[in-house]
Amino acid sequence: MTGWNRRAFLGGAGVAVALPFLASLRPRRVRAQAAEVKRRLLVIYTPNGMNMADWTPAATGADYALTPILAPLSAIRSKVLVLSGIDNHPAESDGFGQHAPATASFLTCTHVAKSQEIANGVSMDQVAAGRLGAATRFASLQLGTDGGSSAGGCDGGYSCAYTHNISWAGRGRPMPKMVSPRAVFDLLFAGFDPDQTAAARERRLLYDHSVLDAVAADAGRIEGRLGASDRAKLDQYLTGVRELELRLGTSAECAVAERPPEGIDFPVKVRLMLDLMALAIQCDLTRVVTFMMGNSISGHSFPWIGVPDAHHPLSHHQNDPGKLAKLTTIDRWEVEQMVYLAQKLDAMDDGDGATVLDNSLIYFSSEVADGNRHENVNLPILLAGRAGSTIRPGRHVHYGDGRLADLYISLLHHLGAPVDAFGDDGTQLIGQLA
Amino acid sequence: MRARPLVLLLVSACETGLVSGPRVPESDPGRVTVHRLNNTEYNNTVRDLLGTSLRPADAFPADDVSYGFDNISAVLSVSPVQVELYHQAAVALAADVMTAAPERILTCQPDPADPAPCLREIAAGFGRRAWRRPLSDDEIARAVALYPIAIEAGGDGREGVQLMVEYFLASPSFLFRFELDPDPLSPQVRPLGEYELASRLSYFLWSSMPDDELFAAADEGRLERADELERQVRRMMADPRAEAIVDNFAGQWLALRDLAELEPDAELFPDFDQPLRRAMAAETAAFVREFLHGDRPIEEMLTADFTTVNERLAAHYGMAATGTVSLAGSQRRGLLGHASILTVTSYPNRTSPVRRGKWVLEELLCASPPPPPPGVEGLDEEGPFTGSIRERMEQHRSDPACRGCHQAMDPIGFALEHFDATGAWRDTDGEFEIDATGTTPDGASFDGAIELAGVLASDPRFGRCVTEKMLTYALGRGLTESDGPAVGEMQQRLRARGGRLSDLLLLVAESDPFLYRRGEPAAEDSP
Repeated sequence: MTGWNRRAFLGGAGVAVALPFLASLRPRRVRAQAAEVKRRLLVIYTPNGMNMADWTPAATGADYALTPILAPLSAIRSKVLVLSGIDNHPAESDGFGQHAPATASFLTCTHVAKSQEIANGVSMDQVAAGRLGAATRFASLQLGTDGGSSAGGCDGGYSCAYTHNISWAGRGRPMPKMVSPRAVFDLLFAGFDPDQTAAARERRLLYDHSVLDAVAADAGRIEGRLGASDRAKLDQYLTGVRELELRLGTSAECAVAERPPEGIDFPVKVRLMLDLMALAIQCDLTRVVTFMMGNSISGHSFPWIGVPDAHHPLSHHQNDPGKLAKLTTIDRWEVEQMVYLAQKLDAMDDGDGATVLDNSLIYFSSEVADGNRHENVNLPILLAGRAGSTIRPGRHVHYGDGRLADLYISLLHHLGAPVDAFGDDGTQLIGQLA
Repeated sequence: MRARPLVLLLVSACETGLVSGPRVPESDPGRVTVHRLNNTEYNNTVRDLLGTSLRPADAFPADDVSYGFDNISAVLSVSPVQVELYHQAAVALAADVMTAAPERILTCQPDPADPAPCLREIAAGFGRRAWRRPLSDDEIARAVALYPIAIEAGGDGREGVQLMVEYFLASPSFLFRFELDPDPLSPQVRPLGEYELASRLSYFLWSSMPDDELFAAADEGRLERADELERQVRRMMADPRAEAIVDNFAGQWLALRDLAELEPDAELFPDFDQPLRRAMAAETAAFVREFLHGDRPIEEMLTADFTTVNERLAAHYGMAATGTVSLAGSQRRGLLGHASILTVTSYPNRTSPVRRGKWVLEELLCASPPPPPPGVEGLDEEGPFTGSIRERMEQHRSDPACRGCHQAMDPIGFALEHFDATGAWRDTDGEFEIDATGTTPDGASFDGAIELAGVLASDPRFGRCVTEKMLTYALGRGLTESDGPAVGEMQQRLRARGGRLSDLLLLVAESDPFLYRRGEPAAEDSP
């Protein structure tokens, strides 16, 4: 275990997070297991597409030249795949309002109908969590920067759930994200008390089990008197209760000294969330995390890098060179954030000469390609790490008419959670990754 | 107004002077999916139940929004992380109340030799308030059974009771508002039970649990009576908790919550700061409050010649007076003169006539602009437009594909162009003159914000739109075609009663969709 310090600094805010002694970093249950490769999936969603002219490298293979937006990759280009020519046709809109259906199918490759009610397929990260999430305290985490509100409707008659969530447990079941770094911190490290005696810890565990058993027993009286959709809601809760019971007692011995601050600016919040993602992975509290670096149709402005304009209207650039230049500035900043996370993971030793990044996959993309045209084809995709598998990073691979759902089948395959089909149109491995 | 036992019906008919037979609603009252407490309701409920100052839901993931509100039960789902957070909150709240206000729980002291009688009393009393209905013997026994687990593990009696409290707060009966149907698959319409109705009223008007008086009315079966229902609604509206209508209904309808997240361009609008932001929100809240408790018809929300400003906002508006002031002589009238709304419908560095027009159509008239016809993607490839915003928009509208919606949206936005992206008055838009004239697709012409307000206030769609929004919020579900008759009837009765917001709240509480429900035939399961 080398390469990182007992004190990791939450960037930007200047908040120090003191990490515990190295030996106690992992939950006991996991530590006791054989040294199998711990594969992880981290997804970063960025809103409003990319300035594709400044994104896509001209050449393919290992010797491609970095473009203005991809310039930050230079530090880790040997560990990154740039993928182009991949389409997500299920993302297409039923009409006006392109961002909502594209964001809904960002990880599901499932077409959603224009409605305020919600129905979507299972997202790729949740399929992965079904396999990778069994050993950790949290099967998966959903993080973001923006809460739920939105002036008026969200996008052309689609439910706001489609613009605010990328992780879906199944039809009608979005996995809402946490947007406060402090709340995420509290969730991850709740109940950790280094001074607590073993007896006290055992007693608390007994109490939790007893209360949750009683809660589960409540359902019997109620269930028979509920319609199907009501019963589905209750089942969501009871399934969560049973899962929680199974995971109780596996809490990490991964202490931290200081909680993140509140009342922070957007760029600081992004950094804190990336730090928390790295921390959660480092402590093996979860192996699957999704992060929305802004809600779909985000109107964030970026004054600290000289772009005071709201992102979404700017993305309707109408080929105005000034607007395109600003988009490139935003897009490059977004790539920098991915690189920041990748470098953090790459600085963590995962044993057998591999870094945590080597045993992970960071998937980075947006719901559309060009924000002006709202294209669902030739999506901007980066893949960092190789999930401890045969993936060969360090290249730009171009697919002609590749399907996003096939890419997800391949990613799940490399993550050790293989599926035969995915979404509306995924039927096979996409190829060329290995 | 609803099916009820004959005796009560006669009493009610005598008291109200109405003679009507028991009836079943003519139209389908619809069906509300079981409602998880949203984050606001959770915080309010534990405040009223426990007297706690903790606000655990501030750390929960944001609730999803549909139909413009975050209390739509169909999209309020529960993820594993949320279950964990609910459990953590239950543990923290139970510890807090046993430390800060144990008397709220311990209505008696358990006798160590025979604690069961007191524990049953605690479970029945606290459980009824926590679950918003009386408990069955089984449920009481399940709660009481937790006590000896703590004692046997070496805990004290207080710890045992604390476990009971954790259980009540982690139970689905606390976190969800169940309306249990005798036959969940039957489309047979039934009136809500007394406790179900008490919760609908309290979560509508207070975004919180029923209070003792509402529980007592439910215990005694009084909510079945129309006069008692009205009495309770008026009582609840006079209670400070009714501020929830301002925060949660108006806060979402009028996009005040979005104001908190906006960051106008600091270089263009150096005066915009937190005190100004707060003053903007306070103006609109005070305005809504005046309509909620005062005697003005809803239409005046668009034309009112008064508003409430503090010093900061008065300076922003270029006014001298503060407090509730007359707008005579100014260019502002009603809601569309509020900086809050003018700001949230702008971009950080410029106004957007389209966005403002779209907001007015969608939120004030419930008339979403028709979507562009197929093939409209081509317009995205046009070159950059030049000239004033109005000139650029007119180039945009020269495309027949765009004209349909933009001729409805843009004129409304143009009329508001004298207000900049933070709602301050401007004579010109930089180097460009402002032309604030416009004509609606129906042919109504206006020049500027005041005339626009008059045109909108005389549009019958406004009153109907407010009714639809309020009913959606009250039910926590989207409206369907079968709600049309109920909305139409409410419109008529609203006009007859004087058209006040308070009348509308009462009419919603008296409406069939609010008072009745039915089961869910199996086929409805698939959307």
